[in-house]
Amino acid sequence: MRTITYAQAIKEALVEEMRRDPTVILYGEDVANFGGIFRITSGLKEEFGDERVFDTPISENAFVGAGVGAALTGLRPVVELQFADFLFTTGDEIVLKAGMWRYAHGGAYKVPLVVRCPSGAAGVGPEHGQCPEAFFMHAPGLKIVSPSNAADAKGLLKSAIREDNPVLYFEHKLLYATKGEVPDDPDYLVPLGKAAIAREGDALTLVAISAMVPKALAVADRLAKEGHHIEVIDPRSLCPFDRPAIIESVKKTGKIVVAEESYRTLGVGAEIGAMLMEDALEYLDRPLRRVAIPDVPIPTAAILEQFVIPNEEKIYQACRELLA
Amino acid sequence: MDRNLKLLIYRNMIVSRRLEERIAELIKAGQVGGFMHPGVGQEALQCAAIAGLRPDDYLLYAHRGVAYWVARGIPLEKVLCDLAGREGGTNRGKGGVMRVVYPELGVLGESGTLGGCFPIATGAGLSIKVKGGDQAVLVFFGDGTSNRGTFHESLNLCAVRKLPVVFLCENNGWAVSMPTERSTAVRDIADRAKGYAIPGVVVDGNDPEKVFDAVGEALKRARSGAGPSLIEAKTYRLWGHWIGDPDTYRSREEVEKQWRRDPIPAFEARLAGEGLLNDAMRDEIDREARAKIDRAIEFMQKQSFPPPESALEDLFA
Repeated sequence: MRTITYAQAIKEALVEEMRRDPTVILYGEDVANFGGIFRITSGLKEEFGDERVFDTPISENAFVGAGVGAALTGLRPVVELQFADFLFTTGDEIVLKAGMWRYAHGGAYKVPLVVRCPSGAAGVGPEHGQCPEAFFMHAPGLKIVSPSNAADAKGLLKSAIREDNPVLYFEHKLLYATKGEVPDDPDYLVPLGKAAIAREGDALTLVAISAMVPKALAVADRLAKEGHHIEVIDPRSLCPFDRPAIIESVKKTGKIVVAEESYRTLGVGAEIGAMLMEDALEYLDRPLRRVAIPDVPIPTAAILEQFVIPNEEKIYQACRELLA
Repeated sequence: MDRNLKLLIYRNMIVSRRLEERIAELIKAGQVGGFMHPGVGQEALQCAAIAGLRPDDYLLYAHRGVAYWVARGIPLEKVLCDLAGREGGTNRGKGGVMRVVYPELGVLGESGTLGGCFPIATGAGLSIKVKGGDQAVLVFFGDGTSNRGTFHESLNLCAVRKLPVVFLCENNGWAVSMPTERSTAVRDIADRAKGYAIPGVVVDGNDPEKVFDAVGEALKRARSGAGPSLIEAKTYRLWGHWIGDPDTYRSREEVEKQWRRDPIPAFEARLAGEGLLNDAMRDEIDREARAKIDRAIEFMQKQSFPPPESALEDLFA
């Protein structure tokens, strides 16, 4: 199978779905003429024209809300936010409009909208470097995906575009250049709501999200050399969340660590902890451990950023503690 | 404006006024628990503007009364069932009377947050343009809502993309207890159109013919691909902000003076002067309206409430 980058996989998904379905449109800041600040959408305007691929003014409320309006009236808009952090700028349109329009109107309309959200700390500081998935897991009506590799980036984006509900698609900035094998089948889809077992094992369950997955796999390699074969689970979708995948793994291992780039309080790990308390307490023989950002904003200077972002060493130490 | 159209607008104004009077009675008697923002005094502009729409156009109404739905032709019993939170309405108890929805006639629903309507309208305009149609979007909003940031963002985006959206401001002078002159830096909200290089016109919102003409012009412009327009219809909210509003923030003199500008008797006098309406016809239109409303209320009262567990439905398609 051919090997391409995560960024190329995203672009392939966009191009294939736009060729397949004329109701798919793509817009956002600097996406058309410039090809996006992360260069994901270069050449799309040339292929699909200015009606389907266009630049917007700096008006996140208007253009994300317009995505909802366009979705209600028969299009499948893919809206690019320059940074995932701007979800907070357009919170009304995301939480109250995209998430609630269908419900509040008794199911009269569907909202097939995808919002692409480049996420993750990359030396860009508090308002451009977050992984804010957990904030939106709390909001009813939104589906949320965070692919960790090129194949999932493609398959999840294609599924998101074909989905009849709003999807927040988190693409981690530090994963753009990572490479992986990606099928070239134009109907290659990764279903929403289905976790992947990134590494099988029975010593401990390590749940890792987005850019934490490659770090978790490195930790698994290191622990394997020490004789501990851990299981790495990549949820891929945070809403719907594949609860059975985690519970099945914990039944086998009895131990769980969650590594995420969210703030610790009420992060993804907190929800997993609550879920285990409800449904799997009897299988746990050690307490849950979370590796997350201590509850501070993400600082800009590399030395400070690296102190707060979970890294291999922190994940390794959390696993070691439970394996001791 | 042709005779039948004038009488249609008049009939819709009467049905709307009578319906709100009945709804106020039902609410005060505790027979329905809905949260209703009456539009008494603003029916002329609402009915006249909607009379200019085609069935395939899109409508985003504001929260000010029932006339939008009456004028668009949504069955009254459905509106009443939504108000009462019963089955038989348009939104299965999920959104109440502020979320009346009717896809068959392009009634997209309502944003609960004021100003949330503008981006939605922009998106509907985008759909029309991408699909190459000649429909238009009509979005109503109040003077207070014109101070939301979404107003600026959406007008600008519609103007640069030349989207077929007509922005119709119902300036009734008050945003709950805040008078427009204290909330809004410009005297005429239509002046804001200059900031987007689009037409901005002020019309007497209590004159249905002037509103119909102004909206007609803007719809024509939208359908031709020339882009959005902003219309400001000056009117007045004769009742409180909601049914039950103590309305202590306005002087009685001001409100009484405005009752003398009530658009209904004014339009009646004009139609009578043109030989289109006489006392017998007026009484007949009124009787018909009341009978229609009685039937709708009777229907609503027979509907059951939705099963409680249906609260868990309708989230995802």
